[in-house]
Amino acid sequence: MGGKVTCTLGEVKNRADFIVFWGGNPAECHPRHFTKYSLMPKGKHVPNGRKDRTVVLVDIRETKSVKAADIFLQVRPGKDFEVLTILRALIKDQAVDPRQVAETGLTLEQLTDLVARMKRAKFGVMFFGMGLSMTRGKHMNSAALLTLAAEMNAFTKFVAMPMRGHGNVTGADVVMRWQTGYPFGINFSRGYPRYNPGEFSTVDLLVRGDADAALILGADPGATMPQPAIDHLARIPTIVLDPKVTHTSRLARVHITTAVTGISAPGTGYRMDEVPIPLRPALKSPYPTDEEVIRRIHEAVCAKPDWIHANGQYTTNQV
Amino acid sequence: MIRITGGKVYDPANGINGQVRDICLAGGKVVADVDGGRTIDATGLVIMPGGVDIHTHVAGGSINFARAMTPEDHRRAVAFIRSQSRRAGLGGMAPTTFATGYLYAGMGWTTVNEAAVPILSAKHTHEELRDVPIVDKSCLVLMANNEIVLDLLQAGELERARHVVAWQIWASKAYGVKAVNPGGVAAWKWGQDAKQLSDPIAGYHTLTPGAIIKGLAQIVDELGLPHPLHLHCNNLGAPGNVTTTLESMKALEGHRAHMAHLQYHAYGGDDWSTMRSETVQLAEYFNAHPNLTTDAGAVLFGDTVTITADGPWQHLLYKLTGRKWGNLDVENETGCGIVPYSYRPSNLVNAVQWAAGLELLLLIDDPWRVFLTTDHPNGACFWRYPEIIQLLMRNDFRRECLASITPKARKAIKLPELDREYSLYEIAIITSAGPARALGLKEKGQLGVGADADLVIYHDDPDVLRMFSHPRYVLKAGEIVVEDGDIRATPEGREFLIKPAYDEGIENFLRPLFEDQYTMSFENYPVEVQRIEHPEIRDCMGTE
Ligand SMILES: [Zn+2]
Repeated sequence: MGGKVTCTLGEVKNRADFIVFWGGNPAECHPRHFTKYSLMPKGKHVPNGRKDRTVVLVDIRETKSVKAADIFLQVRPGKDFEVLTILRALIKDQAVDPRQVAETGLTLEQLTDLVARMKRAKFGVMFFGMGLSMTRGKHMNSAALLTLAAEMNAFTKFVAMPMRGHGNVTGADVVMRWQTGYPFGINFSRGYPRYNPGEFSTVDLLVRGDADAALILGADPGATMPQPAIDHLARIPTIVLDPKVTHTSRLARVHITTAVTGISAPGTGYRMDEVPIPLRPALKSPYPTDEEVIRRIHEAVCAKPDWIHANGQYTTNQV
Repeated sequence: MIRITGGKVYDPANGINGQVRDICLAGGKVVADVDGGRTIDATGLVIMPGGVDIHTHVAGGSINFARAMTPEDHRRAVAFIRSQSRRAGLGGMAPTTFATGYLYAGMGWTTVNEAAVPILSAKHTHEELRDVPIVDKSCLVLMANNEIVLDLLQAGELERARHVVAWQIWASKAYGVKAVNPGGVAAWKWGQDAKQLSDPIAGYHTLTPGAIIKGLAQIVDELGLPHPLHLHCNNLGAPGNVTTTLESMKALEGHRAHMAHLQYHAYGGDDWSTMRSETVQLAEYFNAHPNLTTDAGAVLFGDTVTITADGPWQHLLYKLTGRKWGNLDVENETGCGIVPYSYRPSNLVNAVQWAAGLELLLLIDDPWRVFLTTDHPNGACFWRYPEIIQLLMRNDFRRECLASITPKARKAIKLPELDREYSLYEIAIITSAGPARALGLKEKGQLGVGADADLVIYHDDPDVLRMFSHPRYVLKAGEIVVEDGDIRATPEGREFLIKPAYDEGIENFLRPLFEDQYTMSFENYPVEVQRIEHPEIRDCMGTE
């Protein structure tokens, strides 16, 4: 990552007069986003709410979110990186190759108009979704967008923010980072955290058949992962903690029903902007919380003899 | 119960300067005598109260952002291997939480003050602090760009502002108030900065940085907070900023204040090529004004990651380095910027910064008012403190290092003329007794009867670096936590909080403003005290 220039959602509410959604469909995927944070609210410095904001949607197809936008830019599938790179050149008044512009599905007029609007903004924000970060180019696409937002600060205030997914995936990312330095794809087999997405990510470990047991919490890989990964989950002892019976539960050896966090179990949720929100249960649950189950499993594991026979307490030479 | 016999004790708060004495510990405290228990023979060893870090960034959104930005550094960092009593973790430029506790304790530091907490994400900071083992903790809430407070200061409503500040301290479960680039971070939300103390801030009609500094210092004094206003001045890092720093100090006359990382505010010159150290005039003013304390914010050569609430400065640093840039603006309150950085001896600016930090420590004549910090991780990582102690105690070593910096810097610094060498007694003051006193933590930084049993036992080693890097024993709350470089125990630390007095009715004023400007419900904003691990609520001082 070349860095990230971002803000909390309240800054968008109070200041953003120019908003780009890139590769996402918030109208359907984040239904409260428009009304609560980005489009509709009247903010301290955008007192007329929606009227004070210009909204641009960039996507490969027309979604329900298009209706909410002032400008829709339809990019040819797989050409997001090219568009972002051209925009990075245009903001710096560098020449661009018309043939490359033509390949993106957009015209130079559309792009120069966008750049002019971006520069005129007092506070611009770019939200980007899985349509950008999970398609061809993947993290290169996100990096290009984040760099564009950073570079825009030479002209005006500009930030970018990923539209993170469901549940508390941001919370998991935040906690893993403070405990291990890494957000996901972490391997503890040497006794200290190592990180290599593509090698240590859950799906890779399962497809290769490297894992000999699985504890699944707050996810349903049985519904989303490729078949070889699912087959391996069925082969090994898999334990699922979930308030409901999931696809993964059906192929697991053990399913433990737990209380629903936020409804019948307390906790903390991290918003997509990493702002923590306390979750207060409204109901009592007959089931234990995830935390309690994990704590009891952990205590039982701790009672077993230690399996790491490390030479010393730390190493200055990671391998 | 432990009796430590035969050690040379350096306990400046009690005037003990290397005398051999027994120290007895029981119930987590220093006691007059013990009957039975373990005896540690410290004959020939040196005993000091545990280190106290008055200004560091170890927990919360900003350092966690820095961790995300530096995965390549994690690979080369020291790796802690888990055991049944110890968690795995990584050291490096932005250590993970468990490793942070191990690294501080491993060096003999037992109390740390996290210096920058936004109220909005204070829950996050406290969750991380829970995961920093062994050491005791406190934190400072960011206030000088909080728009509700700024609006009140502009309107001249100081009385109401005081209630709001007091409410916010308790809401964030903080110990004190930090002001970062007053008004400048708010201006940064429009892409601007606040560089002149007497100029109105972007987005405000009449409010100036000077008025924010004065207003907050007065509020902190009126509330009787044990730690004074903790000020990161405007114009950090910029050539010629010494004028701003001196003006800020003048604005503080009549109030207590702690000037954070003074090194970054001690420059003369007009631009990067003429930058020079102005520590002499700064120290002169400082020496004559006992209402002030400061910490060095010293720089060491090498790689680090810089993180600060000072967003505009970080944007400038990004433009200068062309490296990664992280920025997070926090609604209505503050912001933060993150830029990886390498300090090089061949670079004029970096050489001036390195010299200026040491110069302040050598030129300020009262060690009770200047403390050892690197503004971790900004000037260097905290686990490099022993290198600074070596530079302060060994003039010959300093001269060796001076030989390796760019010759261009020689005319721009004062360091070559300074021969002062710190004694062990003075080291105990700037690393422990002084910062504990400035924080108002009476039972820290000293070894008198009733003090917390936090102490460190060093070999009396002529190799200062080795001595301070590898304590023989470290004790926290009377328990041996480190022995010969090995972590023996990882007890949980406490957190110090303040609940200043405020009119409960202030919530009726805050609630509608909050619902207007924020994006969460007012009830979710304060940190519940149940979220704090071993909270210890401290008293405000009597206000006279
Ligand atoms: Zn700092």
